[in-house]
Amino acid sequence: MVTYLLRRIGQAILVVVGVVILTFLVQRVVPGDPAVAWAGPRASAAELARVRTQLGLDQPLPVQLWNYFVGLLHGDLGISVHTRQPVASDLGQALPASLELVGTGMIIAVVVGLPLGLIAARFHRRPADVAVRLGSMLAVSMPVFWLALVLQQVFATALGWFPVAGEYLNSLNQTSPLHVYTNITLIDALFTGNWPIFTSTLEHIVLPALVIAAYPAGVVAQMTRAAVGDELVRDHTRMERALGFPERSIVTRFALRPALNPVVALLALVFAYALVNTFLVESVFNWPGLGTYAVDAIRSTDTPAIAGVTLLIAIVYVVANLAVDLVQAVIDPRVRLS
Amino acid sequence: MRRMIAVATAAVLAATLAACGGGRVRGSDSDQPAVNASPAAGDTSPAESSGAGTSDSTKTAQPSGTFVYSYHLNVVTDWDPATSYSNEIIAMENIYESLTHYDPATGKVLPGLATRWEESDGGATWTFTLRSDVTFHTGRAMDAQAAKDAIERTIKLKGGPAYIWDSVKSIEAPSATTLVFRLKYPAPLDLISSSAYAAYIYDTKAAGSGDLVDWFNKGQDAGTGPYTVASWTKGADVELRLKAYDKYWGGWKSDNYQQVEFRVTPQVTTAWQLLQSGDVDFVDRLNPQLFAQAQKVAAIQTTTSASFQNLLALYNTADGPMSNVKVRKAIQDAIDTKGLLAALKGADGAASGVVPEGLLGYTDGLQLTQNLEEAKTLLAEAGYGPDGKKLTLTLTYAQGDDDQQLFVTLLTSALSQLGVTLQATPMQWSAQWDQAKSTDTAKRQDIFVMYWYPDYADAYSWFANVFHSADPPYFNLTYLRNAQVDKKIDEIPELTATDKGKAESVYQELNKTLVQDLAVVAPLFVEKYERALAGDVKGYVDNPAYPDVVFVHELTHS
Repeated sequence: MVTYLLRRIGQAILVVVGVVILTFLVQRVVPGDPAVAWAGPRASAAELARVRTQLGLDQPLPVQLWNYFVGLLHGDLGISVHTRQPVASDLGQALPASLELVGTGMIIAVVVGLPLGLIAARFHRRPADVAVRLGSMLAVSMPVFWLALVLQQVFATALGWFPVAGEYLNSLNQTSPLHVYTNITLIDALFTGNWPIFTSTLEHIVLPALVIAAYPAGVVAQMTRAAVGDELVRDHTRMERALGFPERSIVTRFALRPALNPVVALLALVFAYALVNTFLVESVFNWPGLGTYAVDAIRSTDTPAIAGVTLLIAIVYVVANLAVDLVQAVIDPRVRLS
Repeated sequence: MRRMIAVATAAVLAATLAACGGGRVRGSDSDQPAVNASPAAGDTSPAESSGAGTSDSTKTAQPSGTFVYSYHLNVVTDWDPATSYSNEIIAMENIYESLTHYDPATGKVLPGLATRWEESDGGATWTFTLRSDVTFHTGRAMDAQAAKDAIERTIKLKGGPAYIWDSVKSIEAPSATTLVFRLKYPAPLDLISSSAYAAYIYDTKAAGSGDLVDWFNKGQDAGTGPYTVASWTKGADVELRLKAYDKYWGGWKSDNYQQVEFRVTPQVTTAWQLLQSGDVDFVDRLNPQLFAQAQKVAAIQTTTSASFQNLLALYNTADGPMSNVKVRKAIQDAIDTKGLLAALKGADGAASGVVPEGLLGYTDGLQLTQNLEEAKTLLAEAGYGPDGKKLTLTLTYAQGDDDQQLFVTLLTSALSQLGVTLQATPMQWSAQWDQAKSTDTAKRQDIFVMYWYPDYADAYSWFANVFHSADPPYFNLTYLRNAQVDKKIDEIPELTATDKGKAESVYQELNKTLVQDLAVVAPLFVEKYERALAGDVKGYVDNPAYPDVVFVHELTHS
């Protein structure tokens, strides 16, 4: 177990180092002078020269790469061109907001997708199954950007059921200031008993979270349907039926647990995918997370920020994969970590 | 064992999350470090003010309401008024003031912190008389010495467009309200002082014995304007909130706005919906379709006005086929500006010469009109066409700019009718500019498309930067080297300071030379500002000398 864990962590570090080298090289091979992005399009020659020295751009590439690595080891991802703040500090602010959105989306996806998958498996090839398959196919294939705009137009602007954009009502900062501990607004508001901000955030998160949930909910429903369907034709199910267990117990008690393994594996990957999907969703709903930050960074050719986001997403992927392997071993006794 | 690992993992995650924050208060006036509560003066409400500093005791009413500005980009990059040269202008112009202010409607310079000014020594000495009733948000009085210190610091830091003060030899403050500039050469200092950047007057002693740059970078201000920073939360939906400065010399009316919020909204569709739902009061830009929709909504006002930013196609006069004036004139004739403006659906206006209307130097009658027959003849005379050589031109333009893309599409189509192949490449500015400045002239483009705008309301910026000889080339991407043109350009600053009529005729001569005689540039269009704002906002006027700025103190609401 320990050997396995060490080996996987070693592999993960190698992957991350590879990503660091790649992102650094991409920053440097992109045409154009990074000093111009920093100093502005109308910078004077003297200003550009000063910025090149300040950012170390006048040093040889291997020296710059080495300095970048050394900085990373100290948690220094460089300074963002568009915010002029340390990238690490920017990410520390933006990531919790994205985790809040993606986390809520994933909860919706599991709560909706899993039961639908079970219903589809239970009523195989009957109308309920067909409806779930069609619905999940639609959820998976709809472009998130389009879905975000449609939901915003219908439920916020036309019907006025939900706010158009933002994380919570801004005036609450003055009437009910939020004490921040985790930077995840829902959690901070809940644990500090700040109900105005908590309820306002819930109202604001519904639409973007539904958009984020659409893809994973569809995938989870389809995967659950397939996995549970496989279990329902196995020998142990025949025996359970012979023993007189009701069909609902067979599905939810005996077929679901072994079927969960591939679903959980998928969830981790879908989580990381959803984190990337937030790029567009956050932009539409003005959600102050990683996506908004990344879009701003791309618009302003902010290579340190782009590299920081890329590195962070890579780490999330690596950690998610590792976590899945560990969780699979916990929920399925057939899995051995070796 | 597995369950223990799961529990341990959860505990580590929880601890990590907890470590992300420190129990600070978000977005409030006490939020630190990303927030300012300007010391002393800004902390009381206008109603509590004694009225000191206002010239009219009836102006001390309590303002009310919040004006919400939806901006498509992050607002603040640089808080230092000396070096600020970016989007933050939309906030800074409400926090800081300059000696003078430019009025595009009359083309005149209006009083700001200076009530009057006069030039002497043929424009080489300028004496400004300052207001005596102004205080900084830090509580200190704004006098001539403070103004001198601010401008000298801006010059010394050499950041942003500090070059606007290049003509200044020395500054004197003989009395509390008199500021004297002695110049190295005559220059229109009244106009320069109205610059949107690098001309702010601020309290250089705001940080006390501390570092002023660090002090500013915490999101604090030391201006004299109507608003002061209440909170700044980088990356938040509402990035910046300003509050009324109670001791503002201009005073307050009850229907003025008490607060200003800058809400970052990258998507125009979202901005449009926020405006419709009443969540924001002002949207700086919409797309043509949404703007047309906004014009039909009764509860929303729209305004359209010309900017001081125009799109130029600069021809490579030094190397390649475009070094032949006949080829340049042929390309000029191939450009269909009428068709381009029609395709842009009113989002941009016609250009005549290189100077936009509203500035000294605007020259009427220089609009480009398409004449493909003439173009064919000129190309044939230059040796290109069916019986001559095949002509291929390279063009670079800004990536992601729909208007430029449209121009390129139309030009490609027109040139193909002439048998000319256009190889157009969209690029990021830094890459496009780098390639144009390449020391290997073979790598440079034949046509360089870019926007230009002045840092202050003076056409000199176009001529000095884009058309004056420069070695190596910097913004002169026509690579023009013409001693006569240079001589005329060098005359302009002094004439603008001493004889505006003569300056105007020099500008007109230069415009004609560059656009028609030498054909080194094609002015394509002048960008228009299309704003959408809530119906109850009164008094909004666009001022292209201060791009995207809403002077909120000038507004009232019902």
